[in-house]
Amino acid sequence: MSAYSTDKHQLRYNPYMHTEVKVPHSVLMSVESPGRYVGGEKNQVVKPIDDSIVRTVFCFPDIYEIGMSNLALQILYKVLNGPEWSSCERAFSPWPDMDKKMREHNIPLYSLETRSPLNEFDVAAFSLGYEMCFTNVLQMLDLGRIPLLAKDRTEDDPIVVAGGPVCCNIEPMADFFDAAFIGEGEEVDIEFTEVIKRYKDGGKKDRKALLKELAKIEGVYVPSLYTPKYENGRFAGFDMEDGAPASVRKRIITDLDKVDYPTRPVVPNNNVVHDRAYLELFRGCIRGCRFCQAGYLYRPVREKSAKTLCEQGMEIMKNTGYDDLGLLSLSTSDYTGLHELTDTLLEDFEPKHESLSLPSLRIDNFALELMEKASQTRKSGLTFAPEAGTQRLRDVINKGINEEDIMTSLKLAFEGGWSTVKLYFMLGLPTETMEDVEGIADLALKIEKLYFDTMREIGAKPRKPEITVSTSMFIPKPFTPFQWESQNTKEQFLEKQTHLRNMLKKHRNIRYIWHDVETSCWEGIYARGDRRLGEVILEGYKSGSIFDAWDQFFDYEKWSAILNSHGLKWEDYTQGWKTEDALPWDVIDVGVTKAFLKRERDKAYNEKITENCRVKCAGCGATCYKAGICP
Amino acid sequence: MNAEEQLKAMTTKLHQHEYVCRGLFERKGALSYIGHLDLKAVFERALRRAELPLLYTQGFNPRPMLEFALPLGVGIDAEGDWVDVVMQVPVDPDEYVKRVNEELPDGVRVIRAVSLDEPKKSLMSVVTCAEYRIEAPGITDALLNVFAQEHVETTKKSKGREVTTDIRPLLIKPFTSSTPDRAEYMCYAGSQQNLRPDVLLNAICETTGYSAEAAAEARITRLALYGGVYPDIDSLEGLV
Repeated sequence: MSAYSTDKHQLRYNPYMHTEVKVPHSVLMSVESPGRYVGGEKNQVVKPIDDSIVRTVFCFPDIYEIGMSNLALQILYKVLNGPEWSSCERAFSPWPDMDKKMREHNIPLYSLETRSPLNEFDVAAFSLGYEMCFTNVLQMLDLGRIPLLAKDRTEDDPIVVAGGPVCCNIEPMADFFDAAFIGEGEEVDIEFTEVIKRYKDGGKKDRKALLKELAKIEGVYVPSLYTPKYENGRFAGFDMEDGAPASVRKRIITDLDKVDYPTRPVVPNNNVVHDRAYLELFRGCIRGCRFCQAGYLYRPVREKSAKTLCEQGMEIMKNTGYDDLGLLSLSTSDYTGLHELTDTLLEDFEPKHESLSLPSLRIDNFALELMEKASQTRKSGLTFAPEAGTQRLRDVINKGINEEDIMTSLKLAFEGGWSTVKLYFMLGLPTETMEDVEGIADLALKIEKLYFDTMREIGAKPRKPEITVSTSMFIPKPFTPFQWESQNTKEQFLEKQTHLRNMLKKHRNIRYIWHDVETSCWEGIYARGDRRLGEVILEGYKSGSIFDAWDQFFDYEKWSAILNSHGLKWEDYTQGWKTEDALPWDVIDVGVTKAFLKRERDKAYNEKITENCRVKCAGCGATCYKAGICP
Repeated sequence: MNAEEQLKAMTTKLHQHEYVCRGLFERKGALSYIGHLDLKAVFERALRRAELPLLYTQGFNPRPMLEFALPLGVGIDAEGDWVDVVMQVPVDPDEYVKRVNEELPDGVRVIRAVSLDEPKKSLMSVVTCAEYRIEAPGITDALLNVFAQEHVETTKKSKGREVTTDIRPLLIKPFTSSTPDRAEYMCYAGSQQNLRPDVLLNAICETTGYSAEAAAEARITRLALYGGVYPDIDSLEGLV
């Protein structure tokens, strides 16, 4: 095989064909934060461009600053740069100013490491963390000169894959992806890349055969092998091609102590959203809050040992030079080794002026003491997530927290000198009434009173307490007990917001902040959407929509008009399903069974709580993985 | 930290001797596209990775003590900028250069360093002049044209209204090392009076009709910084 062969397929991976994208200085100087577009960070990995290496570009469909704060990116970057025969580079969505310049100057989207245009890679792997990034996927493909629709791609184009929690229902984006990873990526990414390696070594012949080969890997969903059927305007199951698995089982890492962890992550040169190193304490959550998709998707709960975490924590600080380490999990307080871990790390950190960030901490004596020790900055605010305003509704959603817990913790905190409290709630939860909404305001007022009572009791001079009430909109998500529920309409959400605002506006110690209703309403369509939405997303992108996750760019009216022009209505996706209906995500198996979700749904309606995984196994189905805390 | 510990920390601070490593550094490539505060953070993290005996500021949010001679604008390369880093104990300057360079990302490099014992003045306060290089087609004629003027008026927006200033007094001299497409010059710089190269480039375009497109592609490098009163100027290396 000559390096100068004129054979079409061989030309593609001829090393001499590598194009280094040059961005004019004037372009970089004319956009906001040009540091986003130049790479050159400490710990970035630059591998040679070579026929024998499978080249993946990890695409994050949002700006650099957000992508570089994403742990999945750092994990998979390390994993895919592990084998000699595999390389991984990074690309991010250019902000609208840069997007415009790139189109004007005909500059293709390129990877930061070798400045290669995206279409010169073997694999373009997208990380999908939230639904509203969909148009940015199309932006990146388009600017990267990769055909948008999977069916239009040839052997010359990269294989375009998706990973991340959104893949549990990738149907709205199914037309644009050749394959999707279901579950955790560390192992399946390498198995996938091995198949690509054989395909590349064989001269990249027959893309269709490759896709069928990929579908054989556990945890890989190839949408083109499934053709959806619709009856009476509703999804009614798939016609499957021969060899397409009837169900695609989620992948997990069984032993987190043995899996590779990025202790030498890429350290951005410009200020990113979370400027710190991260440790992942455990995956999954024992709590089983019924609205929380992550709580079901990441089952079973698997912890890392405190010993591994201490070693990795010290190593990562040494390798990055960060002065803050964040402990990540869905619920920090549920980590069984928290005392040991924080004691060891804090002892090591103190002389080096390093601190620990502890998000999602349940407030008790230990937590308050820990927060005081961990953070060298002044007392930050306390955060509570009661999610609902009344005990009845908290039982419906299985939020294992009652008013007495909240009040006891807060009293402790107020006695300890805290006076800033943030409370997170959701509007539009199943069975919610106006009484539940009013309960949110009542709780905030009780907390205000508790502050002044506590100050009087201990004889302290009260400051002005700052109590923040924040509400977001409940969006029913696949693989939760509420996956069949109807979603509140925009009008219902607005009515509830307005009511709360009116109740709270006279209270000067209480601040009410709310999320944008329109973005959430739309997110609900994507969350439980089907493949008919592909055309809608494509048209939205072609008419100029990108960065829909950013409120200032999202145009609800425009999107609604496009949806309607395709003969679809918002209600088609949000009015709810009967439990016997076929669901677009039925082909995906995350371990948690439909029977369990139905049981949980019934219990929700009966206002019955389910004990957490450590107290009693609820029989969700995740035991099939024989991992973590499952019996 | 409670009040007692804080007091103790402050008293310790009073007795803490400051050993300064003053380093001459360059930056280019990707690292030229970040702002001053980001560059400071890049240095901070590199110094921490190098495990040097840094002295930290006191208070709620301790930070390594480092000071740049003059902020570098986004997009500007440097070949002769200075940065002071305060240490708890004396550090051999060569050792400092070696260790920090192992940890700095490609594009930033400390060229050499000197050790200073308790400098009396801050590095920033001693800067008075700077040398720059502008690379762009035909830029030298345009620059010489500006130097030939008695006044060079530029307008800038300040607090919502346009203010006209004469930048000519800030220009000191062009260098003979200049070639047609590469102009080198000296100007006043520092906290007292400062001429930013982008402001000069704008003035060049306004005064001489030099093409704005060519100016947008111009590469600017800060070659050196000096202290003292022109023409009696000194390297910052030993100015304490």
